[in-house]
Amino acid sequence: MDDIEGKILSNRSIAPGHCLLRIRLSRPMGVVRPGQFVMMKVPDGGVFLRRPFSIYDYQKGVLTIMYKVVGKGTEQLSKAPEDTPILTLGPLGRWFTVSRRNIPIVVAGGIGFAGVYALVKKLQGKASIFFGCSTSDEVALLKDAVPFHPFVATLDGSYGFKGNVIQLLKIHLNGLKGKNVEIFTCGPDNMVKSLRGLIEPHRIPCQVLLEERMACGMGLCFGCVKKTMDAQEPYKRVCKEGPVFDLWEISL
Amino acid sequence: MGNISIKLFGKNLRNPVFNASGTLGYGIEIEPLWGVETLGAYVTKGLSIKPHHGNPTPRVWEERHGMINSIGLQNVGVDRFFDAYFPFFKRKKTPIIVNFFGFTEDEYIACAEKIKPDRFIVALEMNLSCPNIKAGGISFGKEPDMVFDIVKKVKAVTEIPLFAKLTPEVKNIVDIARAACEAGADGLTLINTMPAAGFDVKKKNIPLKGGLSGPVLKPIALRAVHECSKAVPVPIIGVGGIMDAMDAISFFMAGARAIQIGTATFVDPYAIPKIIKGVADYLDANGHKKIDDIAGIANNV
Ligand SMILES: Cc1cc2nc3c(=O)[nH]c(=O)nc-3n(C[C@H](O)[C@H](O)[C@H](O)COP(=O)(O)OP(=O)(O)OC[C@H]3O[C@@H](n4cnc5c(N)ncnc54)[C@H](O)[C@@H]3O)c2cc1C
Ligand SMILES: Cc1cc2nc3c(=O)[nH]c(=O)nc-3n(C[C@H](O)[C@H](O)[C@H](O)COP(=O)(O)O)c2cc1C
Ligand code: FES
Repeated sequence: MDDIEGKILSNRSIAPGHCLLRIRLSRPMGVVRPGQFVMMKVPDGGVFLRRPFSIYDYQKGVLTIMYKVVGKGTEQLSKAPEDTPILTLGPLGRWFTVSRRNIPIVVAGGIGFAGVYALVKKLQGKASIFFGCSTSDEVALLKDAVPFHPFVATLDGSYGFKGNVIQLLKIHLNGLKGKNVEIFTCGPDNMVKSLRGLIEPHRIPCQVLLEERMACGMGLCFGCVKKTMDAQEPYKRVCKEGPVFDLWEISL
Repeated sequence: MGNISIKLFGKNLRNPVFNASGTLGYGIEIEPLWGVETLGAYVTKGLSIKPHHGNPTPRVWEERHGMINSIGLQNVGVDRFFDAYFPFFKRKKTPIIVNFFGFTEDEYIACAEKIKPDRFIVALEMNLSCPNIKAGGISFGKEPDMVFDIVKKVKAVTEIPLFAKLTPEVKNIVDIARAACEAGADGLTLINTMPAAGFDVKKKNIPLKGGLSGPVLKPIALRAVHECSKAVPVPIIGVGGIMDAMDAISFFMAGARAIQIGTATFVDPYAIPKIIKGVADYLDANGHKKIDDIAGIANNV
């Protein structure tokens, strides 16, 4: 982990409201594992604290982040031109751990795909990918990223399955009865909740990448906690004990 | 780098720069970047007699020049701290200041009593901004009488030097400072966060109320440090919005013997080592041999 200066190589829109940011770091970041994130100092414009983003990709000193514009920090970031200096602290947090025995299934909702893409890449086509979003616009997030066939659900039915991604997953899970599957997921709270509802009866192993507002990103402030089943210390830090958690250990 | 060590209650500290309570985890979290041995002393996260879970999220909110937090004093409790974390500071030969709190007078007293003198403990720091549940939630630190009372009772059960950490949300902080000192406080930490609210215009709601920290707090803290240092004879630790070495220098000149850095670490995780170096460089560049040469030299115009 280190705080590293870098410069924006490119920062372009890949779908309405979604951007891909590439930064050339001045020093190598160290070993990066799927699910880890960075705290990024958004350049200028009165953004006081850093913002957390999953490490979408990291290769040869170039860090890639995929982000959705939701508020002032990401708005400001989306305006930053090439060559803008930027600070990134990372890699941070606990990562997805993959066991060889299980058949991996990756379930992502919208920009949640940014959190699982590094894992998808590592699994090299061994995983089934389920992606859910609102409209066909967002399907562009998968473009180039997933060379093999992903299962896609759009809420408005403009691409793939019409409905939500958990309904789509349900259909496929029926076909996998008796097999050892394991699920890796990242997406909106409601998606994670309905996923949990779906797989609760089977207690399928599931790792989930959670998000919470952060101030420090490295376990210093206790600002980013999620409630867990641990009776003694229920609140765990998303930045330190997470962001990847065992779904069955957290209370949603 | 020049010598910026200080002596506090007979203990030699490497430098006068500490972290602010609650802003450097349990100390171990910063290890990947730099170690607690960099600090003059490590200030613990606020400890209570029993473990405390703290508040639900959201716990942090950003402002243009600061942040609001409502962590709610989550901590593992004083016993667990001394079992699990204190040995790490001893190993690292880093003295600590133990920040603690209670929701009742008894909890404050029990907590202070629990902590035994040790050569690696410089002082206790009692957080007087906590809501007193018996007094209907008004904080312990708001009325001179209440401050006098609780400081006196805590002082009676400990031999460790005692800092009283004051809240800025009072009519006259000098009155509170005097009350704490008359009750036996050996030093003051000024100041804690200021009560504030975050507002979400999109959702038309107040997502959290909590304590405001960061640069917005600095002028308030500086005034408190300056006025109290003129009014009481005990050492003052200045805290509130210190972001860089020049901020730090201004606190020393205003009358602080030592300083604490909180929110700055979230913005720049290397803020503390940078400030330590910056303070030493400033002394060197201006021909000062020690921190005391600039202590309290501020003039009123
Ligand atoms: C570990 C982790 C990894 C993340 N990875 C990515 C990623 O790869 N791509 C991406 O686009 N986003 C990611 N996020 C979410 C991203 O951090 C937020 O969208 C961003 O901080 C919002 O900043 P803002 O200033 O634009 O929004 P603000 O103006 O601060 O807030 C606008 C909205 O964003 C929400 N928000 C603020 N902070 C967070 C947060 N930390 N998590 C979720 N929602 C938040 C607020 O509740 C609000 O609704 C990640 C978050 C975490 C914790
Ligand atoms: C996340 C957070 C947690 C804090 N926890 C405590 C605490 O446990 N006890 C305490 O006395 N002060 C606590 N404080 C207050 C700080 O110690 C300090 O007084 C305040 O933040 C002002 O300094 P700053 O502007 O440098 O952050 C906390 C502040 C923050 C931001
Ligand atoms: S963001 Fe500070 S502890 Fe997680």
